Amino acid sequence: MTEHLQGVDQWIRDALVVGGHSKAVEWSDAEIRRASGGELSDASFAQTLSLASRFAPRGRLEPSAEACEAAAGLLEGWNPERWTGLEAVRVRWVLARAAADADSLPGAIEEAFRFADEGELCALYRSLQFLPGPERFAWRAGEGCRTNMMSVFEANGCDTAFPVAHLDDVGWRQLCVKALFSGAPLWRVSGFDQRVDAELGRMALDLVEERRAAGRSITPELWMCLRGEPTPRALVALDAELGGDDELSSCGAALALGRLGCQDRLRVLEASSSGRLLETTRSALAGHHAQAAFGAVSIPEGATPTPEQASAD
Amino acid sequence: MDKARFFDPHAHMTSRTTDDYERMAAAGVRALIEPAFWLGQPRTNVGSFIDYYSSLVGWERFRASQFGITHYCAIGLNSKEANDEGLAREVLEILPRFALKEGVVAIGEIGYDEITEAEEKAYQWQLQFAKDHDMVVMVHSPHRDKKRGIIRSLDVAKEIGIDMEKLVIDHNNEETVEDVLDAGAWAAFTIYPHTKMGSQRMVDLTKKYGAERFIVDSSCDWGVSDPLSVPKTAKMMLDQGVSPEAVEQATWGNAAKAYGYSGQIDMDALGEAVVVDQRELFSDNSVLRGQPARVDGEVPN
Ligand SMILES: [Zn+2]
Repeated sequence: MTEHLQGVDQWIRDALVVGGHSKAVEWSDAEIRRASGGELSDASFAQTLSLASRFAPRGRLEPSAEACEAAAGLLEGWNPERWTGLEAVRVRWVLARAAADADSLPGAIEEAFRFADEGELCALYRSLQFLPGPERFAWRAGEGCRTNMMSVFEANGCDTAFPVAHLDDVGWRQLCVKALFSGAPLWRVSGFDQRVDAELGRMALDLVEERRAAGRSITPELWMCLRGEPTPRALVALDAELGGDDELSSCGAALALGRLGCQDRLRVLEASSSGRLLETTRSALAGHHAQAAFGAVSIPEGATPTPEQASAD
Repeated sequence: MDKARFFDPHAHMTSRTTDDYERMAAAGVRALIEPAFWLGQPRTNVGSFIDYYSSLVGWERFRASQFGITHYCAIGLNSKEANDEGLAREVLEILPRFALKEGVVAIGEIGYDEITEAEEKAYQWQLQFAKDHDMVVMVHSPHRDKKRGIIRSLDVAKEIGIDMEKLVIDHNNEETVEDVLDAGAWAAFTIYPHTKMGSQRMVDLTKKYGAERFIVDSSCDWGVSDPLSVPKTAKMMLDQGVSPEAVEQATWGNAAKAYGYSGQIDMDALGEAVVVDQRELFSDNSVLRGQPARVDGEVPN
């Protein structure tokens, strides 16, 4: 194993041990020894990926905050906060396959994708970020953007270092816009702030007009797509949002003003707003408007929509 | 039964719309099993089977979850397509790749259609696979020559050494029920609106035999069929004086027990209140298109 793969594998193994999943670790250690022992057919690789469900815990892995920080230290953009124990075991298995023979890896990975169930798809997509020769898996990550299974879409697009580094511009923007369309947390798309550009901003503003024309609400994270120099079109759209009564989306718009460097507008907003919007405005004035700040204004998962939100659709 | 909940252990949801999922959830269907079957016309290559099986463990599972319904499946080569022997061989070769996945609760639906030699070969092969992997078996009984087909299904399963406790014979009627009960297998009944079994006949059968080994299902598919068969039959049973315990057995408990031998059914999770998190409020490309998303607490019964 390369040092990189070894570091990641060790992190996952430790997290499983700390989580009390020693039975899963034992099984996974034995399988990994088997993989390093010699030829492993693609079918057998995929089969073990399936069988992991019988030995690994289905619930969340729940690594500590420090452990998550260590993970980001191993690979910037990797956030294992939402991994399940089963995914952890499956990713270890993929790492072992990568270490056994990197040249034939794409064939084995594609074969596994071809036969994968929902949970396996999630684990496979989460594993792409660690693999050697990552450009070989860029098409696959594009497929992950095209899925309609939201669990799979998020495993491929969120909390992983892969998309920002390896998707082409078309694929990258489709990932971001589709996240907005489908309610996936865009703020969890690693490296978003490094790659957001004027074209994505234009697509977002088109989407604003489309949704307003249909009388629908704007997801707060849409405003994340505005960054850099403020354009007149962006400012008109933001002013309209801030003049409305959708509190969460207004908070997103306030953060966007911060991202666009519109301190004057923020100060005016500070004087006229209250409650959550005031809080967010102050935070934006203080410079807290990076993508992570949108986590606080994102539509909470599992939340009951307000009646206005529901009827707006 | 203050809070009705139902397990429909035979439902071909791939052929149904989201309206059906919604109505099933509203009627209290909490879990279902989708057995692999034929699609109304024969497939011509093994890739079609791979994509079909993978939709059963992927897309359809996800689709059901959006309505608060837990989706399990059974993987198998159906009897009709077993007659295309070349293709059947190829299908049996890839079948193990799906049969041991998470959420696969049985080998099924398998068995006889015209009772041909090719069907028997595929049936035997799959029974042996089930036995080797300690799996439950869901048997489809033929529409024509049903009684003989069921007796043969039972005999061959016994020959292979299938534990009768892990054998479900489906599509029974008044003529076949005693053979299945005598063999010690589970007797499942498909309640179709116009053919085979109707709800009233099911009520009468339950009164006569009790429900200890009975399983009621809808087998809803691409034909005329009713995805609400299980809740409707339960209501009719209760209205006509069948005990709540017996109704619970036939429409929930027995299916959970029989298919639970797979180790793939988490009864604690099924017992918890359903929380549906569709988060599709903004979606225009998933299964929910434009209507208010239901991000709610318990599914109303
Ligand atoms: Zn069927």
